[in-house]
Amino acid sequence: MDMLAQALIQGFLIGGTYGLVALGLGLIYSVSNIVSFAHGDFMSLAMYLSVSLFAAFAMDPYVSVFITFPVLALVGWGLYYFILRPVIGSNSLMIIQLTLGLTFLLQNGLLMVYGGQMLRVPSMVESKLFLMGDTVMRWPLLIAFIASLALSALLYLMLTRTDFGRQIRAVNQNPKAAALMGVNVTQVRTLVFALGIALLAVAGSLLLPGATLQPGMGLRYTVITLLILVLGGMSNFIGILLGGYIIGLSEAVGTTFLSGVSGMILPYALFIVIMLFRPAGLLGSR
Amino acid sequence: MIEIESLVAGYGQVPVLHDVSLKVAQGELVGLLGANNAGKSTLINCLSGTVRPRQGRIRFKGEDITNLAPHKIVDLGMIQVPEGRLVFPQMSIRDNLMLGGISARARKQRRQRLEQVLETFPRLQERLDQHAGTLSGGEQQMLAIGRGMMAGAEVLMLDEPSLGLSPLFVQYIFETIAKMHRMGLTILLVEQNSSLTFRHASRCYVLEQGRVAIDGPTEVVRNHPATRKAYLGM
Ligand SMILES: Nc1ncnc2c1ncn2[C@@H]1O[C@H](COP(=O)(O)OP(=O)(O)O)[C@@H](O)[C@H]1O
Ligand SMILES: [Mg+2]
Repeated sequence: MDMLAQALIQGFLIGGTYGLVALGLGLIYSVSNIVSFAHGDFMSLAMYLSVSLFAAFAMDPYVSVFITFPVLALVGWGLYYFILRPVIGSNSLMIIQLTLGLTFLLQNGLLMVYGGQMLRVPSMVESKLFLMGDTVMRWPLLIAFIASLALSALLYLMLTRTDFGRQIRAVNQNPKAAALMGVNVTQVRTLVFALGIALLAVAGSLLLPGATLQPGMGLRYTVITLLILVLGGMSNFIGILLGGYIIGLSEAVGTTFLSGVSGMILPYALFIVIMLFRPAGLLGSR
Repeated sequence: MIEIESLVAGYGQVPVLHDVSLKVAQGELVGLLGANNAGKSTLINCLSGTVRPRQGRIRFKGEDITNLAPHKIVDLGMIQVPEGRLVFPQMSIRDNLMLGGISARARKQRRQRLEQVLETFPRLQERLDQHAGTLSGGEQQMLAIGRGMMAGAEVLMLDEPSLGLSPLFVQYIFETIAKMHRMGLTILLVEQNSSLTFRHASRCYVLEQGRVAIDGPTEVVRNHPATRKAYLGM
């Protein structure tokens, strides 16, 4: 019972950050119809950047995020502008191939630079614990949860209350009409890519304390993100956040009670069951 | 104000416009008529920059805008109210109108213009926070024209604004267009409803299979034997 409570709390907290990662990909999808299979690998990239910044300057991940964020934004900008924009509108298999190619590039790049061994980055709060009822929790999880929630709320306000948000929704609903209103569609898409990828720097720094890094881990995050995105109905804001909690919870419960890799079976199984009953996503109509 | 010279355009291998020339002077209301698939929408999409012409020139106030991006053309004040309205269905009427005034040119005066639009179309005022998708076709057309007004247009290009509307709404939309014209707006009106277009336009062009078949003062076009036969079926 204790273990279950622990798993549930942990899964719930981490689910908030998963939701944030998936929101980034959801935003990207909503303006470009592109699903990037390299999304998790860009988070690896951000995390390894933090490793380097720690190695070189003893910089805490919570501090180095102020460097990785703009770097990843630049990466996202370049990814759309130079790599994806030229092929947008072409065969979707072509775009999938392209992003799959990127995962190889990123994973092998990281392998070359950092080697294959597991890495850890200590953080000032890494080992700090607190009690939640009877269960012992680590501070980084709570920080990740609160920061993710705050950022998700900011994203929501941005989407609903600002001109940039209106432009994103316009491009999502009808790119041609958006262009006729004077929206610079290419610019909106490029900025959304920059934002969606830069969010991975934040998520990366939040997940880093206590995590062990390994160059191939991006795939796992990509899979988790895609599960959440589909559960959430691809571009439904609340649906995606909800999906984050569901996958976070089921992953935590799965890995606690089933050993090792087979723990990931639970989120998949749950995913399949939910999709059978709600094929358009949790809240999906669209 | 608008000068189109020998425009050639199409999609992929399919040619649509062949050597089309057309002029609209400042303050004019010009009608562009033609049967379905004649190429009317393609022509004004070339003007808006959403279709790239293969050959020919488009000038706006003397400036060459042939290959300008759509948002830059909006910035110059040449605004299209597209066929089928293309409102953003999942956005509130307020957000739709705010988007109409999103261009650098229009952004500063959005508040005042919003007031004007809502004065012109009181029905939109009552539904400001409702999703545009819940509006009737006629109300959506008001919203689409309202968005055009938000942009601070110098030229308004309306693509079949009467399509699919009840006669009452058609009447109302045409009165609104005439009112905007009287207030000094230059208008290019694409229509299949020829009788109402003839009533309001001073000059007309008739497009036939991507070519200008007839053009001139409305009276001349109306009484042209080819118009009567081919287009009006009289
Ligand atoms: N996006 C498009 N792709 C391919 N062909 C198109 C497209 N839009 C229009 N066409 C074709 O171009 C021709 C002219 O269409 P259009 O300009 O819409 O005519 P109109 O507005 O006069 O009805 C038609 O044959 C139509 O099928
Ligand atoms: Mg048309």
